[in-house]
Amino acid sequence: MASHGIARTNRSRTEEQRQQDLDKIQKYRDLDDQIQHHVKQSNYGDPALFQLTTKLLRLNPEYYTIWNVRRRCLISGSLSKRSAGLWHSKASPSTSRSVTTKPSCAGSSPSPSAATPPAPATSPSPPKAGASGTTPDEKEEEGGDNTTTDPAEGARKEDVDDEKADVAADTAIIQSELAFTIPLLIEFPKCYWIWGYRSFLLSVCDAILPAGAARDFWVAELALDSKMLTKDRRNFHAWSYRRFIVSALESTAKTDGDASTTAKKSMTESELASICPTSAPGTTAANSRHGFWTRGGADDAARKKFLDQELELARDGLNVGPEDQSLWYYHQFLMDQVIAVGANDQEAKGLIAPHLSLADRREFLDREVTEIKDLLEDYADVKLIYEALLEYAMAYRAMGESEADTANQDEMMVWLVKLRELDPLRRGRWDDLEKSLKAR
Amino acid sequence: MAQLQDLPDELQLATAAHVQYIQSLDSRKDEYEYWLTEHLRLNGVYWGLTALHLLKKPEALPRDATIDFVLSCQHENGGFGAAPGHDAHMLYTVSAVQILALIDAFDELEKRGKGKAAVGKFIADLQNRETGTFAGDEWGEEDTRFLYGAFNALSLMGLLHLVDVDKAVDHIKACSNFDGGYGLTPGAESHSGQIFTCLAALSIVGRMESVEADKLGKWLSERQLPNGGLNGRPEKQEDVCYSWWVLSSLAMIDRTHWIDRNALFGFILRCQDTEKGGISDRPGNMVDVWHTLFGLTGLSLLGYPGLDDIDPVYCLPKSTTERILGSRN
Repeated sequence: MASHGIARTNRSRTEEQRQQDLDKIQKYRDLDDQIQHHVKQSNYGDPALFQLTTKLLRLNPEYYTIWNVRRRCLISGSLSKRSAGLWHSKASPSTSRSVTTKPSCAGSSPSPSAATPPAPATSPSPPKAGASGTTPDEKEEEGGDNTTTDPAEGARKEDVDDEKADVAADTAIIQSELAFTIPLLIEFPKCYWIWGYRSFLLSVCDAILPAGAARDFWVAELALDSKMLTKDRRNFHAWSYRRFIVSALESTAKTDGDASTTAKKSMTESELASICPTSAPGTTAANSRHGFWTRGGADDAARKKFLDQELELARDGLNVGPEDQSLWYYHQFLMDQVIAVGANDQEAKGLIAPHLSLADRREFLDREVTEIKDLLEDYADVKLIYEALLEYAMAYRAMGESEADTANQDEMMVWLVKLRELDPLRRGRWDDLEKSLKAR
Repeated sequence: MAQLQDLPDELQLATAAHVQYIQSLDSRKDEYEYWLTEHLRLNGVYWGLTALHLLKKPEALPRDATIDFVLSCQHENGGFGAAPGHDAHMLYTVSAVQILALIDAFDELEKRGKGKAAVGKFIADLQNRETGTFAGDEWGEEDTRFLYGAFNALSLMGLLHLVDVDKAVDHIKACSNFDGGYGLTPGAESHSGQIFTCLAALSIVGRMESVEADKLGKWLSERQLPNGGLNGRPEKQEDVCYSWWVLSSLAMIDRTHWIDRNALFGFILRCQDTEKGGISDRPGNMVDVWHTLFGLTGLSLLGYPGLDDIDPVYCLPKSTTERILGSRN
């Protein structure tokens, strides 16, 4: 989309460099022209077109139209027998999603000649759950040069009714497609289109493979996603993909019965814990943790204990990293749980522990404020500490603690002065804060 | 704004160089990058043209050729692709509508294109009627960028009634987080880009009541780093484009004064290539038209002298949105 982190040069080229660029442009445009030519003729069943998309996407995975062409190749080609009916409205680029498309004019009646697969070079076995899906297949076809037809292909054509052979071939194609995108994903981990293509492949699995085989693919994707998150914990594409997979797995688990639902939930939960250990309970990881425990189920005592444990976790983090904003957001969120109790039922529904007593809440608040004040002994110049102290001091007011409030007023002004000194960039915010402090 | 005149030369806005840079963008056909970014061409026209309007040089790109190009990207179904031969997608359809709005050319869409109604139908058909959110195209990828784009384009064309606004608003609320921000999908981490799309979508339909302005303003103001630049999420690097996503969001909740204006001016201006024009993500990096626009919109939102006012909701000049939508507020 844009240049990020690339050093500025003087933007002038030598004649030789210019010539090199022109050569590259020539090759790139030739490839693009050939693809456009096929597309104009709707030659999606032609394996040559599929190979051309391989070449072009390796040069430029951001070229979204080419990913679409590749999808249409799969649908109109090897996967057409069972997938054509599902996606026939997408078999040409300018068809709208309107319901007026007539199934009878889909133009993709499965003929043997249209069923040439995109050279599935891998052995047709489903990936091992949680392991093999993360490594590109060694036999992945190279740069589209390997245009020879799979030897199994002839046999398959003769025996089109053989469901098992179809499943094996489709499995191999999907596997080969997933493998194709892995090096691209590693090089361009923030490319929306690559992630989108992988989701598409998963939906293909669901549409044409038996449930068990499809599920193996989803589970393997979870493992790949974990690897991507290990490389970059903040990659929101990977997090988004993860939510997509987990929710799909959970919804299939639900239809399988309650026991497996529980098993599935705890699997994803422990997986989450492994990716987002206590060192980083902010960010997306925290968001996901939050999602898990606001789903309900536990009784009041368990909920209170849970809140207590999470606060302790956050505090442990703050003791060693009081400058971590994400941690403070998480802490703030937990404190909101303490402060907001007693709000209307609608709000209470979303709370971790909606039935805390006033005494419980005061105890939580007292403890946190005391602990945070202790932080100042080691970190007198960390502004986030003063901000939190002010925030929570205001919470006493919200809880109707007028006594504590009066005692706090002077202390609060001292913290505010310190905030202004430590963080002059946001003085406009401190001005507003001061106004609201004095207004009460 | 007297203190700006005291800034050294390299911290003055290099208006002439930026205009020239944007004008030169379509003459770089001997550069490989030009072809690698063809899938962004229609967006690029929107970015460049909006930047030129902010620089008060709206005529710097030829109007007729612009309209011809925009219409050449339209498909039978009303949607637009990035360039001729590229598939229709929400992202380019929104840019097409924005460009036509900017140069007051909706009549050309009726005369020579497929007409507003077809564009509106293309967009409306992408709404997920169950959840209220929008897909980018027929392949179904959904996120709040597309929802915002749909609201933006439909409202400019007066066609918001084609979609289920209430459901879409419910979806945005479902994307809100404990820190007051919004994510790509429900449960996703708050991100400045998504905060912009969600707030702007809510603004378009006048449904800001669920926004936790103080909490969100706090999160957004913390995006400013000691060097004056803004980042998109906690513990990330600063980048000029967040001068738009963060600042426009602060503007929509009336809290731009929660960050230091002059510090951000300085950061954006240090990212200029004062000689050859354009603005980069960080000082000393390669410029591009995307960062050029969002650097300028940031300066405009903070009232940098000599720039046209930007509308924080539509990312179009206020003069454009006022012409089409009348005075809002």
